[in-house]
Amino acid sequence: MIWDALKLSLLVVSVATAIVGVIGLLFSYLLAKTNFRGKEFLDAALTLPLVLPPTVTGYYLIVLLGRRGLIGSFLYDLTGWSVAFTWQGAVIAAVVVSLPLMIKASRASIETVDPQYEMASFTLGKGRIATFLRVTLPLARRGIYAGLVLAFARALGEFGATLMIAGNIPGRTQTMPLAIYEAVASGNERQAQLLALVLTGVSIAAVYFTNRLSHSEVHG
Amino acid sequence: MSRSMLTVEVTKQFFTKNKPSFALDLSLAVGPGFTVLTGPSGSGKTTLLRLIAGIIAPDRGRIELASKVLFDSANRIDRPIPGRHVGFVFQNYALFPHMTAVQNVSYGIKSGTRSEKRDKASEMLALLHVDHVALRTPSELSGGEQQRVALARALASEPEIALLDEPLSAVDVETRGKLLDEIEAVQQRSGIPFIYVTHNEAEAERLGQQRITLQNGRVVEAKVSK
Repeated sequence: MIWDALKLSLLVVSVATAIVGVIGLLFSYLLAKTNFRGKEFLDAALTLPLVLPPTVTGYYLIVLLGRRGLIGSFLYDLTGWSVAFTWQGAVIAAVVVSLPLMIKASRASIETVDPQYEMASFTLGKGRIATFLRVTLPLARRGIYAGLVLAFARALGEFGATLMIAGNIPGRTQTMPLAIYEAVASGNERQAQLLALVLTGVSIAAVYFTNRLSHSEVHG
Repeated sequence: MSRSMLTVEVTKQFFTKNKPSFALDLSLAVGPGFTVLTGPSGSGKTTLLRLIAGIIAPDRGRIELASKVLFDSANRIDRPIPGRHVGFVFQNYALFPHMTAVQNVSYGIKSGTRSEKRDKASEMLALLHVDHVALRTPSELSGGEQQRVALARALASEPEIALLDEPLSAVDVETRGKLLDEIEAVQQRSGIPFIYVTHNEAEAERLGQQRITLQNGRVVEAKVSK
């Protein structure tokens, strides 16, 4: 049970962190460097999962993506498949709850890049995308790494929303935090201890790395 | 008057806290060669360079460079910065801190393989006598070296005009005279017009065959060589 949970957690968290990295950077760029209608609303909507109880986030995910959900029913009719009670559902839950952490850190970092460097890049004939990839991103990299570490840690600890959308099926959707809950509930002390230790270790490492990254912020 | 390379005919109103603060109303023509742009601070020198480069847009008017329209409010033309082919040397150089000098210079080179770009960048650095710092990052360079690398970077992108915004303000006095000579020589070699902003009267006197003086957002004096 421990190994299944560990393996599943690693799968879910690495896929989720990769997705968070890509869409987090996209949203960070939009929020930091562009102005458009509804920007405030988008910002608020993306931040919401940070303050909502995870079970509420999970409830909305069911409403949206469940077999009878707004998008989920459409998907189910089309393919006969639903994300509910799958590991992909756990990935979606992890992405939604950890995305705001990534965006907060990487957006702040992108905003502190002196626009003069971007202007210089434009005058050298480079467009927006090339400038973002070759100038803005490298100069904001520490904040981006910090955001990724935080998102990774948050995704690893995700419980409430995962339970709602993916359930708690050992070997299929039971990630480490869910396995701890079950171990305690069924009186399996040793297993709970071991899982808790592993998660604590990873969390301490995450805090250590984010601190190191934010303290050695040298480029501007 | 010599054939003009750049014509600028623009107005722009600036606002501070929603109140009109500074108004720019410029009409000028720049010939080939070296043009010094002077005037007290706050007269609109840097703003003019930014208008030409496309970093800010005028409210109304027209900017033409070598018979190519960069901006024309009447015809809703506003060419984006990368398409303007304007070499800009920023006051604090804006060298990319995460790249070495040679990487900075090769960044703007448009065609060629990676090694061709690198060779061309090294040549540009040699032309400005800073090939010995090619592998250093900007934070390891002196003010004069940064200035030379910034000029090399701007010219390597093969611009149709070079805009230099007080390039020597961060360079010590001894280095200045030498750098001025070099900038003049590089201008002649490149064959493109240079607009050189300074509020140092001695520099302006020395360089100014063509000279434009701004005050309060207007041209108060324009001396263009025959």
